[in-house]
Amino acid sequence: MAKNILLVDDSSTMRKIISRSLRQAGLDFGEIFEAGDGLEALEMLEKESVDIVLSDINMPNMNGIEFLREKANRDAIKDIPVFMISTETGEDIIGEAKSLGAAGALKKPFTPDKVSEVLGPLV
Amino acid sequence: MLFSGEVADKIVESTNEIFTGMVMMEIEAIDPPAEPIGQFKNSITGLIGLAGSFKGVLAVHFTNDIAMAVTGSFLGLEVEEVNEDVHDAVGEIANMLGGDLKAILSDKGKDIQLSLPSTIGGEEYVFNSRDVGEQLLLAFKVPAGVFYVEAELEK
Repeated sequence: MAKNILLVDDSSTMRKIISRSLRQAGLDFGEIFEAGDGLEALEMLEKESVDIVLSDINMPNMNGIEFLREKANRDAIKDIPVFMISTETGEDIIGEAKSLGAAGALKKPFTPDKVSEVLGPLV
Repeated sequence: MLFSGEVADKIVESTNEIFTGMVMMEIEAIDPPAEPIGQFKNSITGLIGLAGSFKGVLAVHFTNDIAMAVTGSFLGLEVEEVNEDVHDAVGEIANMLGGDLKAILSDKGKDIQLSLPSTIGGEEYVFNSRDVGEQLLLAFKVPAGVFYVEAELEK
């Protein structure tokens, strides 16, 4: 069954670009939900059927690291995989995200080919 | 020298990668002006701050016409006014360039913190550096004109 995706990024432009890249990459997915920060993402995960989260790190209100930490404490949503899509590529930051359960990371900027290569196995 | 030839070359490379890979627009690096531009008319500037082991700011300056063309190409739609999408797209370009600048300066990443991107724009405004760090000014040609990437950093 096609998987539903939650895009978490404070930039509406970036949410549109990721969404377009997923389509251009030819990946088979279901519905796409959107959230502007970690707080909105937690609310969305509690009420929608989401299979995969693609999240930015540098966001207002609740950033991607704080989101991972808070999500890990909520039994109902803690097992939903999260993939980071961010300009932050430092090994310390990505290492911290992975230690909090992130399944991997994709660097911005990215191309549809890169999206397909990195996210294809997840989707 | 913070902005040695190698660092400047990498920022040019990053700008190329962002525009060709995501904005879907070809750009050409050209000789920058000898002095910072300072005064902008009918333009938008995207800004991102760096703090920590390197402090400063990275800015990308677009005329409104270029910003609309860039946003249109980025989103794959016609953009006829400087709206929220344009500000968001310009901020995101600054964000990606700031992320690349951070990666160039620091492999690990935790010793430099990036601010959230912001934008300023209007009929006329002044963008002044504080003259406390090392400065870099790059210029890029696109069909709608020339845009600039400017950075000022101190260690």
